[in-house]
Amino acid sequence: MTRYGLLRLFACFVLGGFVLLPLGQAIVLSFTATLEADGVPIGTIGFHNYLNILHRPELRESIGNSVTYVLLNVAFCLIAGLPAAYGLARYSFIGDRQFLLFLLAFRVTPPVVLSLPIFILFARAGLVNSPVGIALVHCVFNLPIAIWILESFIAAIPRSFDEMAFLDGHSRTGFFVRFLIPAIAPGIAVAAFFCFIFSWVEVVFARILTVTSGKPITQAITALFTFRTDWGLVMAMTVFSVIPGVFMIFLARHQIARGFVIRT
Amino acid sequence: MKVHNNGAWALMVPAALVMTFVAVLPLLAVLNYSFHDIFSLDKVFWVGTDWYDMIVTTPRFWASLGRSALFSTLALGIQLPLGIAIALMLRKIGPRGAVFMLMCLAIPLVVPSNMIAGLWLALIRAEGLGGQVLSALHLTLDYKFNPLHTWALILVVDTWHWLGLVVVLAYAGLSSIQPAYYQAAAVDSASRWAVFRWIELPQISGALWIVLLLRLVDSFMIYTEVMTINAGGPNDATTFLSLELGEEIKAYSYGTAAAQAMVDFVFVLTLVWIFVKLRQTADPEMVKPQ
Repeated sequence: MTRYGLLRLFACFVLGGFVLLPLGQAIVLSFTATLEADGVPIGTIGFHNYLNILHRPELRESIGNSVTYVLLNVAFCLIAGLPAAYGLARYSFIGDRQFLLFLLAFRVTPPVVLSLPIFILFARAGLVNSPVGIALVHCVFNLPIAIWILESFIAAIPRSFDEMAFLDGHSRTGFFVRFLIPAIAPGIAVAAFFCFIFSWVEVVFARILTVTSGKPITQAITALFTFRTDWGLVMAMTVFSVIPGVFMIFLARHQIARGFVIRT
Repeated sequence: MKVHNNGAWALMVPAALVMTFVAVLPLLAVLNYSFHDIFSLDKVFWVGTDWYDMIVTTPRFWASLGRSALFSTLALGIQLPLGIAIALMLRKIGPRGAVFMLMCLAIPLVVPSNMIAGLWLALIRAEGLGGQVLSALHLTLDYKFNPLHTWALILVVDTWHWLGLVVVLAYAGLSSIQPAYYQAAAVDSASRWAVFRWIELPQISGALWIVLLLRLVDSFMIYTEVMTINAGGPNDATTFLSLELGEEIKAYSYGTAAAQAMVDFVFVLTLVWIFVKLRQTADPEMVKPQ
């Protein structure tokens, strides 16, 4: 191996160590008893922290809540995003670039700026404490992402593809369902991946919109911090919260890096 | 070639409706609140631009703005060159190793943002692995009371969180470069730097500009990590714009909070606008309709 090769190997080790160290520590802690409880002495290694998650209803429920609103959000973004992406990919119209710029501006608006009126508005609409509310509000940053990704995939398909379907007498809806969606399936997967991730890790909106119930996994973890924090349980919960994301990274490992160009 | 058809707006309706409800209406509400003194939702008084005058005349606001700007500069100054350098290195180690490293680097991106700081605090507490290493080396990390240490910790945590995004997109940009470019450079016996400056950098700029924008805005308005690590302390040394705003909201001073939110929004919007303009001058192709 050349000198450069060794250097690169060393750099990869350092980098891998930097990235995995906090996670490794979390995994070790998640299997360690850190508070004396139920007769398990401190330092015992085992699955008790994970069993504790199952024994505590608020933790169990929080996992269900998070999964519900994240999946709803992905559905909203794809349903509202697909027609818009198709329109932007196929037609030019007055205000198209302004519309894209408008999406970009809201994609980068910090949640904390909008948090107060969103709470008041959603409280009036009866959307507080409900997964639908969080799923809707996460569209602020996910809908633009979904539109950008889907647009770039639709733009890659030649126009003649649409015209063939219309010539065969398919309606626009029929064309969408039977032709377009199968043709851009990888794009839909990439869009769903990003929406899922961004919605899963968001905390500001998810916190202000859950006052008494419907708390997401992130809030459940925050609530575990007390004057006697059970670090083992906190870390077990954190490891749990990272699993879906890691699983999706693994599935999408060859695709993530493609097709993420944003137009304005 | 796109067809010109204003009827395409009909296709924008679902997306526009959602955005109106969750983004435009709340923003208009913020704008409205910012001109009022709000005691409760039915006791509201018009105060004009009083809150804005108060904000721009407080040294506290300008100090926070300065800290936010400094933090963004440092975060981008570290993460962009480092991310690009790592992506260049990963191109050399073969696709299997590269995909593995990219997966590792992407993991911090899927950690819920309130746990990012928690993971690091668990690592560096006295019983933690990092804490033990530090004490073995006779180093102390006093992030609660030493502002320099707090800043360093926040920068490390933020870099840990976002480095993967820079690397993943830079790597994607580098992968799309045709080998012919490198062959031409080899024929001209171009230096390594020349290859980077005139071949690689232009090719990855498309993928990188969105990272740059996202990182710029996100680091400018960083909140959760800073709040968890030291709540803006010690002595306001890490009180950034978003923490200032968070304080106002927690204190239920809706009027000032709204004015502050509008000021922050205008800053973010200006950054985006400058960015898009710079991008259009750098790459005139983007301006032409396709």
